Amino acid sequence: MIDPITLQQGTDWRAQAEVFDEIFFVFLTLGTVIGIIVVSYTLWNVYKYRDDGSEAPEDFDAPVVGELPTGQGGPKAKKLFLSFGLSAIVVISLVVYAYGLLLYVEDGPDTGDEGDIEITVEGYQFGWEYFYPNGHSEMNELVVPADQRIDLKITSRDVWHNFGSSDLRIKSDAIPGETSETWFTVSSEEVQEQGGEATYLVECFELCGSGHSAMKGQITVIPQDEWEEWYAGTEGDSEGANSSNVESDLGTPSVTGSAVGGVSA
Amino acid sequence: MSELPPTTSVRRWLVTTNHKDIGILYMITALFFLLFGGVLALLIRVQLWDPANQVLSGLAYNEAVTAHGLIMVFWFLSPFGFGFANYFVPLQIGADDLAFPRLNALSYWMYLLSGVLLGISFFQGGTLSAGWTMYAPLNVPMYTPSIGSTGAVLALAMFVIGITASTVNFLTSIHHSRAEGMGIMDMPMFTWSMLATVWMMLFAFAALLAVGLILASDRVLGSVYFSATEGGSLLWGHLFWFFGHPEVYIVFFPALGVMLELFQTFSGRRLVGRKWVIIAICLISVQSFLVWMHHMFLTTINLEIKTLMMATTIGISLPFDLVVFSLIYTLMKGRIQFTTPFLFAFGALLLFIVGGITGVFLGAIVLDYEFRGTYWVVAHFHYVMFGGATALFGGAYYWFPKMTGKMYDEFLGKVHFVVFFIGFNAVYASMFIGWETPRRVFEYNPEFQIFHQIGTIGAFLLGFSFFIMFYNFLKSFVSGPDAGENPWDYSRTAEWAIPSPPPIENWPNRPSYASGKLEFVKDYVPDGGPAVKADENGNAATDGGDSHADHIREYAHWDKHPSHASIWPFALSFATLIMFLGLSGFNDSISIGAADSLATTPVTISNPIYPVLTVIGLLGLVYSGVKWGFEDFYAPPAEFAERWPFNGVEKVKLGMWFFLASDVIVFGAFISAAVFIRYNAGWQEWSPLTESLPGLINTFVLLTSSFTVILALVAAHRKSRKGLLASLGATIGLGLTFLAIKMWEWHHEIYDVGVTISENSHGDPVQASIYYVTTGLHGVHVVGGLLIAGFLFYRAYHGAYLEDERPVEYFGLYWHFVDIVWVFLFPLFYLF
Repeated sequence: MIDPITLQQGTDWRAQAEVFDEIFFVFLTLGTVIGIIVVSYTLWNVYKYRDDGSEAPEDFDAPVVGELPTGQGGPKAKKLFLSFGLSAIVVISLVVYAYGLLLYVEDGPDTGDEGDIEITVEGYQFGWEYFYPNGHSEMNELVVPADQRIDLKITSRDVWHNFGSSDLRIKSDAIPGETSETWFTVSSEEVQEQGGEATYLVECFELCGSGHSAMKGQITVIPQDEWEEWYAGTEGDSEGANSSNVESDLGTPSVTGSAVGGVSA
Repeated sequence: MSELPPTTSVRRWLVTTNHKDIGILYMITALFFLLFGGVLALLIRVQLWDPANQVLSGLAYNEAVTAHGLIMVFWFLSPFGFGFANYFVPLQIGADDLAFPRLNALSYWMYLLSGVLLGISFFQGGTLSAGWTMYAPLNVPMYTPSIGSTGAVLALAMFVIGITASTVNFLTSIHHSRAEGMGIMDMPMFTWSMLATVWMMLFAFAALLAVGLILASDRVLGSVYFSATEGGSLLWGHLFWFFGHPEVYIVFFPALGVMLELFQTFSGRRLVGRKWVIIAICLISVQSFLVWMHHMFLTTINLEIKTLMMATTIGISLPFDLVVFSLIYTLMKGRIQFTTPFLFAFGALLLFIVGGITGVFLGAIVLDYEFRGTYWVVAHFHYVMFGGATALFGGAYYWFPKMTGKMYDEFLGKVHFVVFFIGFNAVYASMFIGWETPRRVFEYNPEFQIFHQIGTIGAFLLGFSFFIMFYNFLKSFVSGPDAGENPWDYSRTAEWAIPSPPPIENWPNRPSYASGKLEFVKDYVPDGGPAVKADENGNAATDGGDSHADHIREYAHWDKHPSHASIWPFALSFATLIMFLGLSGFNDSISIGAADSLATTPVTISNPIYPVLTVIGLLGLVYSGVKWGFEDFYAPPAEFAERWPFNGVEKVKLGMWFFLASDVIVFGAFISAAVFIRYNAGWQEWSPLTESLPGLINTFVLLTSSFTVILALVAAHRKSRKGLLASLGATIGLGLTFLAIKMWEWHHEIYDVGVTISENSHGDPVQASIYYVTTGLHGVHVVGGLLIAGFLFYRAYHGAYLEDERPVEYFGLYWHFVDIVWVFLFPLFYLF
């Protein structure tokens, strides 16, 4: 299994995207190599043993109509078990390797005493609503700080959705009556690189009705201090926002990104 | 019994019960659905050409996606394979026909007419738009309100009813009618694959039937299983995928069987490690039921279960490795002939290797998290399932000469393969490259547009390639050269030992493998007496040592000729179509008002068409069922056959056992649903809705009726007509008493207590739904049993069953089963 220390260098946590990229690279490389070997070997043999119209050799034991089926043993059977054994070793070791990283992805990085931010995501036809710990809620745009672990609790208020962001490599089912979890973290370097505000596309990955195709949202990551300022500004409307959100506007979802724009400007 | 009309007559194809005719009907119908599903696929591909420009609305796109999936998986892949199975499994095992020819015709008509029902659903305000996986609660009327959505769900239920009949039929045939000398390990590989397929189907489709019935109940009767937040969505996921994963192998195995046959025929080599391939196939069949939650890794199931499912998933890839390597090594040192059938079978292997490798990716949970809901999954399962089906097209070319007596055009066949193979990889390989596109989304990231455009071009190429095949087959059928008995150099199986096309009763004499190879032996049949087994030299032998043959001699009618025609399978299926069509709009046409008793309940019918259709269909169903029962249809049991592991079990009894096994799963799924929802709601939160006393009385009533059924069998055995009538009458009386108490109980609950199928004044509405639907399903079984009992009573009154009491015995098996189910339901709904 993978030592957690190698996954976590200081406060430099590995994002799910990094873990995914690593496993995907390993699988893709091995898969391609093995695929090419097996297919070329097969093609070569099929060519080699083609029926070229010449007379069949004396000892060619051809099957005949009406015989009771039998198999072939001998050296080929030995080869069969050898190949089978090899493939089993490859597949099992790949999975054991991937399992170690799964355990990390399941729990997320240990962030020590620093407070993680826990946000509830509620899917609806056709958008996402985010509930912050202070009761504030946002439609379709999730605004979070950099360098902090964000825990998402995901559910749905109508049908089965799937909340996912390909860029961040996070995904989880949004099921009515159930709460699933995932987490992500974006470093401040990344936010800096994207010009002080990193944005990631959110899509729905489970067919949820006529508006499924257009069910997109956004995750916006801003520097920690800016976020704190923005978050403090939401405190006031928490009571009102909360109660109005419980009844919720199932109508046309709108992106309420104005507050963010003000902060990051 | 009516005579079978010639093949040029339309009537022939409506009444035939011959396995070869029905096989051809299956194949032609399946190819029609390939076109239907293919057109929908092209609509999808056109929509994906440009992420900003759309030809279909969001809803219409979802309908196309849903119908494409349903049609290809259910109405094309499996039935196409079953077309070959119908035609060639009886030939490969040396049988005259399937065990139950009328049931076989019934399966076919249920299949075709359920497809018609699905077609009609497009015109009932739009068909289902919830995806072929139909995730809850999008699949309930609140979110998919059209009548057509209900029509599509009922079409699927009707399809599954036909499938269940087919499964029972094939299991009985393969286990009961193998020619003398053909042990179970001696069966050809195509038949082996089909045997594994039908064993999986027996249990998997029972789960689908259960979940389809629950969904139909939610949509037609108003129960609230799948909209319940107490685990309703997850319940759907579990039940659907418990069926859904074995289904992948169910559609793949017939194709695998074709590959295993064709690799041997066109290389002149026998299968490498044959015994181990068979073991691998059996292992896969069992393991397929242990992996379903890998479709649900992102739901709320816990890490321990995920880990277990990951292990079983990887475990199931291992036997497949063995099968693939065996296929490859079989070709080596052979004399490989690149005929069209071989090209398709070989192409299928290459595509399956790609599908298999990309499947291992999905087994690693971390990768699955990202692949879930993307085109990676779409590409993967098309490589596996459609890649597998590629071998079925190989099968079509391989057996075309046998079925028609004509040879296809080899050049056109090769052109078809090349166009097909290029088109296939253009569509699905491009999906791997643009895999980050979410499934069923057409407003995708423009970065991936080029891949989707390549896919669209490939799809049209792929679609076009089939017209080459259709042209080839039509032209060759009309004017192709004669193929002869056996056009292939290295074919082995028995179908190549008889004329093309084979005569209606297949064999010149009884086929036997007793000497180690196929021989047609002439049995000595004395006038009106049982056949006497011929020995190896063709002389009549009178050793009489074959105990199961003796067993059959008691019942067989040696002077009768086997029947090949009946209209009742068609009539029964047509009545089912009408009834289900009526049910699809039933809910929308009738509204039931509140009242304090049944007699005063106001019923408003807004649209009489649907209720009228329902009633007509129901009457037609009962009428054709009765006519079926009275028809003099003779399907002789195989006289000398290999039956391991069911030696000494009579044919109909074996069929009944298989049917009851699938019914166990149906009830198992209903009971699991009840337990699962209750567990999610909090087990202690619920207490029984009803008084326990009526349930207790009903338990005694049913158990007593089990006793009277045994008395009926004893009376029939003693040839006592009075005793038989009295005990059958008592059984019917007890059954009616059970139903009367049940009705009183329901009436009391609905009108006095206020608990209906969708409302519960005392707690969770879903609890009421579960109570009515589960005990209702049992009630339907009791009603069905009483109808059969009434039929037996009528026949017994006219003197039947005193010579041959087996129908009473088999009814008894069913009746005991229904009673045992009640023993499980009673504590669940009345005590705890």
